[in-house]
Amino acid sequence: METPTGHQHPLTKMIAEINAIFADIGFVFAEGPEAETEVYNFDRLNVPKDHPSRDMQDTFWFKPKDVPEPMVLRTHTSPVQARYMESHTPPIRIIVPGKVFRNEATDATHEAQFYQLEGLHVDKGVHLGHLKGTLEYFFSKFFSGKTEVRFRPSFFPFVEPGVEVDMRLLEGNSKLAGKWIEVMGAGMVHPNVLRDSGIDPAVYSGFAFGMGIDRLGVMKYGIEDVRDYYTGDLRFVNQF
Amino acid sequence: MLILYSWLKEYLGEAMPSVEETERLLTFHAFEVDGAEVLDNDAVFDVKILPNRGSDCLSHRGIARELASIIGRPLAVDPLATTPPELAKTDKLSVSILNPHACPRFTASLVKGVVVKESPAWLKARLEAIGQRSINNIVDATNYAMFALGQPLHAYDADLFPQVEGKWQFIVRDARPGDTVSLLAEAGKTEDRIIELFSSELLIVDGSSDIPIGLAGVKGGRYAGVHQGTKNIIIEAAHFHPTLTRQTARRLGIVIDASKRFENEPSRELPLYAQSEIIKLITDIAGGTFEGMIDEYKERKDNPSVVVTTARTNALLGLSLSLSDIKNIILRVGAQIVREDEISVTAVGPFERTDLLIEEDFIEEVGRLYGLENIASVVPPALPITEINARHYYSEQVRSVLLDLGFSEVITTSFQKKGDLQLKNAVASDKSYLRSNLKKNLVEALDKNFLHTDLLGIDGVRVFEIGTVFTKTDQGVAEHISLTLGVRLKGGGHSPKDDVAITTAVEALSQSLGQAIVASANKGVAEINFTELLSRLPQPTAYTPFIKGKDVSYKAPSVYPAVARDIALWVGSETDVTAVEALLRATAGPLCVRLALFDTFTKDNRTSYAFRLVFQSYERTLTDTEVNAVMEKIYLTVKEKGWEVR
Repeated sequence: METPTGHQHPLTKMIAEINAIFADIGFVFAEGPEAETEVYNFDRLNVPKDHPSRDMQDTFWFKPKDVPEPMVLRTHTSPVQARYMESHTPPIRIIVPGKVFRNEATDATHEAQFYQLEGLHVDKGVHLGHLKGTLEYFFSKFFSGKTEVRFRPSFFPFVEPGVEVDMRLLEGNSKLAGKWIEVMGAGMVHPNVLRDSGIDPAVYSGFAFGMGIDRLGVMKYGIEDVRDYYTGDLRFVNQF
Repeated sequence: MLILYSWLKEYLGEAMPSVEETERLLTFHAFEVDGAEVLDNDAVFDVKILPNRGSDCLSHRGIARELASIIGRPLAVDPLATTPPELAKTDKLSVSILNPHACPRFTASLVKGVVVKESPAWLKARLEAIGQRSINNIVDATNYAMFALGQPLHAYDADLFPQVEGKWQFIVRDARPGDTVSLLAEAGKTEDRIIELFSSELLIVDGSSDIPIGLAGVKGGRYAGVHQGTKNIIIEAAHFHPTLTRQTARRLGIVIDASKRFENEPSRELPLYAQSEIIKLITDIAGGTFEGMIDEYKERKDNPSVVVTTARTNALLGLSLSLSDIKNIILRVGAQIVREDEISVTAVGPFERTDLLIEEDFIEEVGRLYGLENIASVVPPALPITEINARHYYSEQVRSVLLDLGFSEVITTSFQKKGDLQLKNAVASDKSYLRSNLKKNLVEALDKNFLHTDLLGIDGVRVFEIGTVFTKTDQGVAEHISLTLGVRLKGGGHSPKDDVAITTAVEALSQSLGQAIVASANKGVAEINFTELLSRLPQPTAYTPFIKGKDVSYKAPSVYPAVARDIALWVGSETDVTAVEALLRATAGPLCVRLALFDTFTKDNRTSYAFRLVFQSYERTLTDTEVNAVMEKIYLTVKEKGWEVR
């Protein structure tokens, strides 16, 4: 029997596609560490200490004896926003696909580790309409059909205004077509986040968004259990 | 929070939208509504109050006010009318606040001659509709006032609370080491909970005895509790520091409706309105006479004046609103405009909105009340990318080389049962360490997948992973990316051929990347420090174009075992192999999930084809008899065709 060609994992396959779609409109693929400081994971994102909004993040902490300052397994790829902004000047357009961690019980829709896609665009005159346009552009390419996006009010400490994003695929005969699906949180970067990263919020504005890549795969491929991504089982991988 | 439709209507009056409309308006302009349960002439909404609005919207009045702002109508009845209610004072009560930062305001009122009994039907029905158990009219009244206005309250039996010189004396102070407090039994428990305190907690203390009677903001104590025979009551409504309340509540694992509200920093103005509301309610349903109150207001915190410009509002929202549009929306929120010029208004949020602190907060109000659906999409003009991600670029190159050699990519867990680097707080005990290499996970993947080679139609298992690994160093936690390859070609474990396959693959990578890679295969696995390798590779200047693959519709594998059977047969050398395959497939039926040709040779005008058939069901474990029956059918069909089974 000859050796058949191997198969690429759907997560890296999606990441490659996401990168290609965003690179076409000038978004740079940025990255940062998975073991992150408390400062970048929370403080620099305007999450006040002991504020209830930290309840939204169930965090894995390193033991104090192992680290020189408080550190966590990053709960989102958003710390890369702060890291990138402090080392670059606008215009900034980045995407940050990467592994993140949440300390919570796992089930078919929750894993303690998953991949998140962060997006950030900072420049003069960036507004919510650009966020909407960028996301419609992305989803239409990613799901191979015209897709519309709608916003609902939401709250995340690092954005203001904050929105919840729903998408609807308008074309095609995919199971997704015609239905509104909640896909991510987003908003305009909070002035404190810009200022703390050395960007003047009186001159520049920016949008940011964050969504689960695992969930994009659930929608794109019909994967029913997000834990399947991390089993190392080729009965899963070899279908892609 | 559960919100009752008819309760909202009490505040909104005629302006109240229908149940469906209420759900829609809240969802698109304020908060997600997680379903509405329709009752007789009423409905209960599960409203997901956003964390920044826990200060004012964990209450029916708050949600009613939201709806009023959304539809642009005033509240017909507003318990938070603009001037604080005037309530008579009494010198029978006193409070001494020793930590005004932790307790900036404390109010208490005295009501004499109440009758403790069952609550009236309407009150019981309302509380029950939002999932609250009715206890008695006094306790129910304190709960009702909290769910109405968002201010927690607590009632004491005045006769069980000793007076000193004709006064009931409260002290609000920090706990001292050794203090204990006996808290009211939690729901479902019969015994009180005695809590030992450190010194970070804030206490309500009976001034006559210095006995702690409540854990401020978190839970009331057993001390001087209201019971069936209670006649005279003292009702407390105060403001406690949000962070302090949260820390104490978290540490003791007591998160209840009251602490949840204090944690979210409700307005310091609220206690007086809540007193006014509850005094009316209690004298109405429990009788008695209001004797007066005390109000110790140590530290005010007024909402700031915020300049909101037309330019910035439109610049962030992507709208083109006029100043008067913006002003009208800000007024709808209940804010005051204290100054105005051609380009801006200066606004102060209503006192209960402790979240309106900066210009962007007001801009958010304008955006959501005007309607986020009115924001038009604009794709930012395309720009060339300024950087190529070398890690991604070379990872894709590595993938492409390895896929061609038959390797499949896996992504495995970052957690392990044992290791060098243990996390402080992992959920599961078998996942509390971080991986320091990928080898262990890949060996596991080889073991597991080897069981499925027939099903997968592969001659052996070849896998790789590119992933982050963590190591403990003197400086702290270090991480790098590891590229690890694993091969298993034979059952029963590792064979030398595995290492040969790996060496070949590493050589191919080395050649493709143009850099020497030192990686020794050991027991079928080789681990490469990819971060180090990347540092030796040139910075790429453009990505390889992405090719979109075919659409995939994933199907979870069956949990039942697969069974393999081989068949080899002679056919005339002119017979097309696809015809043979088609016949086998049709005869084998749907239980045959894979059919693979694994051997062919021709001799004397005849060709021998050997196939492996793999059977599996989604419903059950297949028995030998069942599979043998299918094979018998195949032998028969093949025979009829004139082919000879070897």
